Amino acid sequence: MTRGAEPLTDEDLVTAVLEGDRDRFGELIDRYQGRLVNYLFRLLRNADDAHDLAQEVFVKVYQVLDRFDPHYKFSTWLFRVAQNAAIDQIRRRRLKVVSLRQEDDEGESRDWDLPSPERGPYGEMRNQERGEAIHEAIETLPWEYRELILLRHFGELPYEEIARLKQMPLGTVKNKLFRGRQMLKEKLQDFLSD
Amino acid sequence: MNRPDHSTYIEWLNLDADGLLEGEERSRLEEHLAACADCRREREELQALNGLLRRSAIDARPGFRQAVMASLPTAGWEVHSSQGWRFPAAVLVLLGALAAGLLIAGSAPSSAGFSTLVAVGSLFRAAVLAGAGLLAASWKGVGLVVERVISSPASLGAFGFLVLCLNLLLISLLRRKRPARQAEGAPSDPRR
Repeated sequence: MTRGAEPLTDEDLVTAVLEGDRDRFGELIDRYQGRLVNYLFRLLRNADDAHDLAQEVFVKVYQVLDRFDPHYKFSTWLFRVAQNAAIDQIRRRRLKVVSLRQEDDEGESRDWDLPSPERGPYGEMRNQERGEAIHEAIETLPWEYRELILLRHFGELPYEEIARLKQMPLGTVKNKLFRGRQMLKEKLQDFLSD
Repeated sequence: MNRPDHSTYIEWLNLDADGLLEGEERSRLEEHLAACADCRREREELQALNGLLRRSAIDARPGFRQAVMASLPTAGWEVHSSQGWRFPAAVLVLLGALAAGLLIAGSAPSSAGFSTLVAVGSLFRAAVLAGAGLLAASWKGVGLVVERVISSPASLGAFGFLVLCLNLLLISLLRRKRPARQAEGAPSDPRR
């Protein structure tokens, strides 16, 4: 749906929802589901938990949508709610370190690791190894760097929004983000040439 | 123009990896890269890291949107936005009608109508005092007002109805949510 030739902004969609057009919330879900699930996946290290929590976050945001402050970006608010929810869950469950290979209800295994064109036994093994290495590299980053890396690379938030969300000066955000990338590069050196 | 130090080039390389470097800075970075093998390697590594992280993304489950939409409850603001103003408005109309009724009913002698207005005013004042916790001071005033208002069964009934309406109005106002500008506080390290 567009306003003239321009697509509606997130804030326009929120306004429409608050005015009674409930289906517009679906458009917000479409815009953010991938980023939110990936962001939570990296925090929780479990795809099913990430999906469940992403759903909870959307529901929670919907329930208090009237409290949305239009001076902020919707994405900033959404990821703030998501980060708090994830931290609550991590603290509650003491985050079990589980394999990326999950079993579904029928007992069949599903891969939640890297989607990659690599096929065959070696490719599959390499995918899994790489996925675990990324998790491990992110997990071992100091929190102050990790949270910025996740917000930037998986939440895909611009620097300015991260600065606002974290209530940090823009320069600090950049410095920490760049430093975090250096650490990640060192930890993932073996996979950078893949 | 001064030559930037190496930390500036590192910052530019990071911005470039995010697609955020443009204009003169980009040109100067390209010039520098032509002469600096370390920075060329740095750029390749940053691009590789970005690609690695991007490829590691998972897809949201099929039907995720539908699942979320189906699980959305009726939010409190939906109730308030659609009908929240109606109840207080109705109570206010009732109060207005009641006040007019009292005036008309007691308008035979003009002084009686005036007395009714004074009584209603005193009642409001007494209610405010009582609500503020000044019970000792207000009880006497309430007693005087009640004594004057309940001079007839009709007045007594109207008085009771007025009190009921005031209570309903108060309850409806209290049930309305206070706006919150900031729904969530700043998160902290979960390991703490």
